[in-house]
Amino acid sequence: MFGRGDFYSRLVAWLKILLPLAALGILSTLFLLSRNIDPATTIPFTTIDLRERARDERVTAPEFAGATEQGDLILFRSSSARPDPENPSRGLADTLSARITFASGATITFTAEEGIVDQRRDRAELSGDVVVTSSTGYEITTEHLISGMRTIHAETPGAVAGTGPPGDFTAGRMLLTTDENGENARLLFTDGVKLLYDPQDTKE
Amino acid sequence: QGAEIAFGNVEQDPSQPVEVTAESLSVDQDDGTAIFTGDVLIVQGEMRLAAPKVEVFYDEAGNRIQRLKASGGVTLVSGDDAAEAANADYSVESGTIFMQGDVLLMQGQSTLTADRMTVDTRDGTARMEGRVRTVLQSND
Repeated sequence: MFGRGDFYSRLVAWLKILLPLAALGILSTLFLLSRNIDPATTIPFTTIDLRERARDERVTAPEFAGATEQGDLILFRSSSARPDPENPSRGLADTLSARITFASGATITFTAEEGIVDQRRDRAELSGDVVVTSSTGYEITTEHLISGMRTIHAETPGAVAGTGPPGDFTAGRMLLTTDENGENARLLFTDGVKLLYDPQDTKE
Repeated sequence: QGAEIAFGNVEQDPSQPVEVTAESLSVDQDDGTAIFTGDVLIVQGEMRLAAPKVEVFYDEAGNRIQRLKASGGVTLVSGDDAAEAANADYSVESGTIFMQGDVLLMQGQSTLTADRMTVDTRDGTARMEGRVRTVLQSND
């Protein structure tokens, strides 16, 4: 009943119906089955954080850079800082760290859990297991450190403990000072220094 | 001429820990030289070396002390012997102390003076050179 020609035209006729339907189906998946993105959950901040952030104008990852006449660069950095409620010219910083790069290429870094930064009085107070490391191979730990932000000057009110090329030592106080003209900066450990050098343990 | 004498009553092992106490320590940040000042006292085993100023010298690798250079009037005490000199150079690795500048050595009754003295703490001997003179107290 159906000759060869009829089969071909019936096939084309069916395809004319099936193919558009298939196209319509695929097209509809674009809109009907798409991932539903819930607008409310995309913002990473919780409401509390938002309110707190708005209230006290927190600055995240601030940097305070300064340089001395001799070309030593001083860079202070912290994870976040907010103005001190009692004295707005001062900033309260979390995880405050500083890096001094001397003109000669030597470097000293301070790190601390928190700090108070007062640029007007050129003074930063670091507290909370303060660690001082210097490119001459010294690593010193103390509780508090007061440092200039545009001048090479730092001192610890309290005792320090440290280790370096000559061995492990403790001292009553530590100062970072330079000559009057700002040349040859040096770390001065005073108020009694006690050092122990063990020839056997060769530090790498 | 020189004189070889025993110094300090015990052979000393130079790899014993060295303890340095001083009023202050200054570390230059450019080249890392460390200078102790203010009645510095170096103690290792039986040996005590006191001086107003001591500078630390490192070996090439920079992480071991090679020499301690004491200057400004040094007194060295080991056991019951004592010696004084203008300055002293203590080589920590080899355990020898080289003292120079009108060296005065006091041992029991006798005192010796010389220009230079080399003390080897390892085998407890001292060698004095340059105008060595002995002063014997006659305890009459």
